[in-house]
Amino acid sequence: PPETRAAAPEQPRSGPAPVTDVAKLCVCDLLVAQCDVNCCCDPDCSAADFSLFTTCSVPIVTGDSRLCSQKAATYSLDVEANPPERISKLIDQVNPSIFCIHSTNYKQALSFSSPEMPTSKNFDQLLKKYGSATFSVEPDSWNMDTEPPNPSDANETYRYEYGVPIQTVDAFLRLPSPVVSSWCSDTNPAGFLINQATKCTRSISVEKCDNIQAVSMLFYINSSILAKCHEFVFQVNITVQSIVVQSLNGTRTLLNDSDVLRLPIILDELCINIVLGVSYHITYTDGGEIIEAAASFVLGAINEAALSIQQSFEISFTQVNTKPVPLSGNPGYVVGLPIRAGFRPQGYPFPVESLLAALVLNTNNYNQLTILRSTSSQDCLAEQGARTPVLFGYNMISGCKLRITAAMKCQPLTETLLDLLKGQSFPEYVASFGNSQAQDVLDWVPIIHFHASEQKMYTAFQTSCQIPVSLEIEVRWTKYGSLVNPQARIVNVTATTTTTTLKQLPSGRERTIPITSSVVFTDVSSPAEPGYKAWPTINVKLPFDFFFPFV
Amino acid sequence: LSSVPLQLLFYINGIYYIFYFLATLAMIVYKSQAFSYPDDFLAPDLALLFIMAILEVLRLYLGSKGNLTEEEAPLGLSLVITVGSVLLSVYFLVWQTYVLKADVIINAVLLFTYGLESVLKVTAIAAFVS
Repeated sequence: PPETRAAAPEQPRSGPAPVTDVAKLCVCDLLVAQCDVNCCCDPDCSAADFSLFTTCSVPIVTGDSRLCSQKAATYSLDVEANPPERISKLIDQVNPSIFCIHSTNYKQALSFSSPEMPTSKNFDQLLKKYGSATFSVEPDSWNMDTEPPNPSDANETYRYEYGVPIQTVDAFLRLPSPVVSSWCSDTNPAGFLINQATKCTRSISVEKCDNIQAVSMLFYINSSILAKCHEFVFQVNITVQSIVVQSLNGTRTLLNDSDVLRLPIILDELCINIVLGVSYHITYTDGGEIIEAAASFVLGAINEAALSIQQSFEISFTQVNTKPVPLSGNPGYVVGLPIRAGFRPQGYPFPVESLLAALVLNTNNYNQLTILRSTSSQDCLAEQGARTPVLFGYNMISGCKLRITAAMKCQPLTETLLDLLKGQSFPEYVASFGNSQAQDVLDWVPIIHFHASEQKMYTAFQTSCQIPVSLEIEVRWTKYGSLVNPQARIVNVTATTTTTTLKQLPSGRERTIPITSSVVFTDVSSPAEPGYKAWPTINVKLPFDFFFPFV
Repeated sequence: LSSVPLQLLFYINGIYYIFYFLATLAMIVYKSQAFSYPDDFLAPDLALLFIMAILEVLRLYLGSKGNLTEEEAPLGLSLVITVGSVLLSVYFLVWQTYVLKADVIINAVLLFTYGLESVLKVTAIAAFVS
């Protein structure tokens, strides 16, 4: 209520008054209402306590010793008396020096000054007097409208530079990402030439699904991108490149017509056409101008039980008139980058780029070697097609459990397992350098396949069923090049498939067998031999007629 | 006839004042280093010390001239200036920012000298007038 606020004291408060009476000052009195040991000035101690002390920890308490005459309190123990007792005296101590302070007319001379307490009235003045530089919460770069353009070439003024947020007609191109927790924040701008992939969670329910903007396709392709920074003349519309529909159980199908805009609608207790993933592909020129933008969508459906969905977003940049081939090293492989692989149709190898852009979102088969990815359900047949790229230098092992029932037939099971272990399209060649081009045939190393069997073969001809249970890829690499900067080069890749016999199960019973796949990197570099240049030689040839008179 | 004790006293006063001036200046410097001596307190103390020095020179010159030429006018003027000097000495004794024991001693001696001088000047003026 305003009455009590007005009645609250407005005068500046000061700190507690300093203690100046020497008889009352006791620095060793630390425990409240208890006697401190060997503290002769403690008022909580009784005569019985004093008789137990051995010495006085504080023998004298004085004021400022620079004064000519001051009060002092002395404490001492009389050990001769029985029992020992404490003697406390209040005396006048005299400073013998002739430079002692006789008197002073300056009030604050002999004591520490109490600082001014800040109140609402003097706060600004105190801040100006004692304040210093501070960090401001808002970064200056968010004022996109008021930023003055650089005084340089008109063409260069408005080009996009690395890291600059991509502007659209209303604000900027959004790439929702998790900020503090895993919930999506829609204010994350996409930076030019920064390839990003983010995943975040969004809360949603079937009743409100057509009201939430961020799960409809329109939100992501609505505003056009400005071709040049700050210039509204040239705008690039975002085209829909492909749409993949994911059903409730996870299967994905690519739609044939991606021209139709699909908005979320509620259909028999399900909400369909919800955006589960967007992948932007921006094409730019080397002048920093955006000329094309395409988006691929993954649309899904939710049922009534769903409370939140996970959305994934990706953006990648390609320079115009170039093919996007991400290098895994230049020239040697960099540890942690995926191994590049490819096929050889009709005579020469070329990278796997025939896979449709729809698979960009889920499997990243950009000409990479991949192995089976372990999933949380650990069931081989539940989530098929989950693969992870093989990264150079990282030994990996992954696996799943396969439940075999009596009803399973040998041949289809073998095919399923081979698919599982090797993936849809297991490459035939692996690039030996990180930057090997498709045209250089000799830069590619073939993958050699071996077959092994778990049991020793007793009979030459096994009639029972052999199913593959493990795939081991061994990549041999060597150090290549100069001694101080060796580059990694792959020399040999072998893939060993191990099979085991599938014994026929009695009906009704089932068995679980583990399926594993692994990648091992072996360094087979031979020890380096430093090579030196040839020593310089002195090539001296005397002229023909040097010894003229005698020759 | 010129008063010899008065002239003697002027001579001793001159020497003593030089010592007093240097001592007070040195102690002000010491105080500004040893204690907290803000500028608005230091400036008046130094200013008054220099004014006192000027007044002292004037006073001793006039007094000595008046005594030797047996004229009462300069001697009277010197007496008037003595009043000012006494006030300044009392300032340094009591109202200075920091009064040390040494300050008390030298100012007391100066005040005693002034007192004695004033008495002798009055008698000299009385002698010259009549």
